[in-house]
Amino acid sequence: MSTQPTLRSRNHWKAAGLIVPSLLLCSAAPGATPGFPDRTEQHFKVDARPVVTIHNPNGTITVRAWTKQDVMVVAKRATDQVAVDSEQNGNRVEVTTRQVSTTAAPDDLRADLEISVPEDAELQIHNDSGGVNVTNVLGDMNVETIAAGVDIEDAAGYLTVKTVGGSFQCVRCAGRLEVSSISGNFRLIDLRSSYVRAQTSEGNITFNGQFLPSATYILKNYNGVIEVRFSPGDSFDLSATSLKGRVHNEAKLVPSSHHHFLPKVGNALFGSLNSGRARVELNSFDGTINILKRD
Amino acid sequence: MGGERSAGAQAHARGCARCGSLVSDLDGIHQTAPSLAVADGEPPARVWIALRAQLEQEGLIHDGRRGLTETLRNWLGEILTVVPRPALAGAYLMALVAVGVALTGPDQRRLNEDLWIHGTQVSTQPLSAQLDSAEQDAISSLTNSNPVVTASLQKNLAIVDNYIALCEKSVLDEPENEVARDYLYDAYQQKADLLAQISERGGDGR
Repeated sequence: MSTQPTLRSRNHWKAAGLIVPSLLLCSAAPGATPGFPDRTEQHFKVDARPVVTIHNPNGTITVRAWTKQDVMVVAKRATDQVAVDSEQNGNRVEVTTRQVSTTAAPDDLRADLEISVPEDAELQIHNDSGGVNVTNVLGDMNVETIAAGVDIEDAAGYLTVKTVGGSFQCVRCAGRLEVSSISGNFRLIDLRSSYVRAQTSEGNITFNGQFLPSATYILKNYNGVIEVRFSPGDSFDLSATSLKGRVHNEAKLVPSSHHHFLPKVGNALFGSLNSGRARVELNSFDGTINILKRD
Repeated sequence: MGGERSAGAQAHARGCARCGSLVSDLDGIHQTAPSLAVADGEPPARVWIALRAQLEQEGLIHDGRRGLTETLRNWLGEILTVVPRPALAGAYLMALVAVGVALTGPDQRRLNEDLWIHGTQVSTQPLSAQLDSAEQDAISSLTNSNPVVTASLQKNLAIVDNYIALCEKSVLDEPENEVARDYLYDAYQQKADLLAQISERGGDGR
């Protein structure tokens, strides 16, 4: 028993002998910039319905609405090889990330942005890789990414989202929504939109939202699964066609008054649930379409 | 036509909605056909001249065969003067029905499919060539980009190319399938959009 503290202290010294040189090596490693990642904070006074433009090719963009009539930009840069420029022009605030060195490695050019805006702000966001998160913003939004995913919550404006490979998730969004991608998956959860148009080539599309009267929901892909959830009390006119794939349906549809001549293409399903007040169009080239009861 | 109809046939036509409708249609044709007799007579000479010029221009007839067209013209003119116009109208109607029946035949279907394929190729081949050229330029501009972005763009370009190939095959398999053709055009549109994005980000895609 009496030897244990001695052994422990020997082990501590051994550990210290390994850790200290490692720390020294790390601090002397090329590319590590003293004082980074750094943090800068800027504020801009704005009027009602300001326009905020964000261009950040590499890094995350997080936008939240708050009650102040201010736009706050918090930037965290990986190194001094990247600069974040924020400037105001009238009721427009522009935040742009640019590379300072032409020889810097991509990881050194990363900048993460946290931006707070009034809830009626209009957003224009460009992000290639990293990610985009927007919460509680009620103004119109245009988001374009390459590989970055886009998550939006509690939005109410006209949303247009375009990604190449990034996924898209919209939770409790209202207003008009247009989203397109090549290989991104879409999840549209608790939606209250009157118009939805979502198209992806190789991604899955999940729709679990309200079917508002006179609203239109158009979901299209080439491959993958389109899944639509409904409740027995929902009212919509449905057209579901998969040219080479399958259509599975759990809804008790009645023949629709709008489809007298049924096209003979692939696997198609047409009909109305209840009085058919909303219009739902599901189209796939060789994917699977599932119309399932909500759990 | 009314005079040739027996009392039994008339009674049946009154009681049977389907036959009554058919008789009504035939009566309509019977009443309208005589009015065709007062329609224009022989087409004016300029029509024949223009038609011959067009056929010659397209290489379908040559000067040496003018005699034949003249003979055909005379033959048609003689028919128009000898045969009563109501009979001609009836013959025209029958010819239309015959053409309709012939259109459903396998040969005509193949011809239709060839026409669809040709039409699709005419519209897509120049587009495809332009996209191939744009792709070469866009790919060459990607060399200095962020590897994550570059990998994503290349992966998605391959996905779109694959869908273009699948849609082209689908259109060739079912040339009259408009849905397949719409998917093909959509795929081309996606590729054009993607190449534009690559070009925009090529220089500063970090």
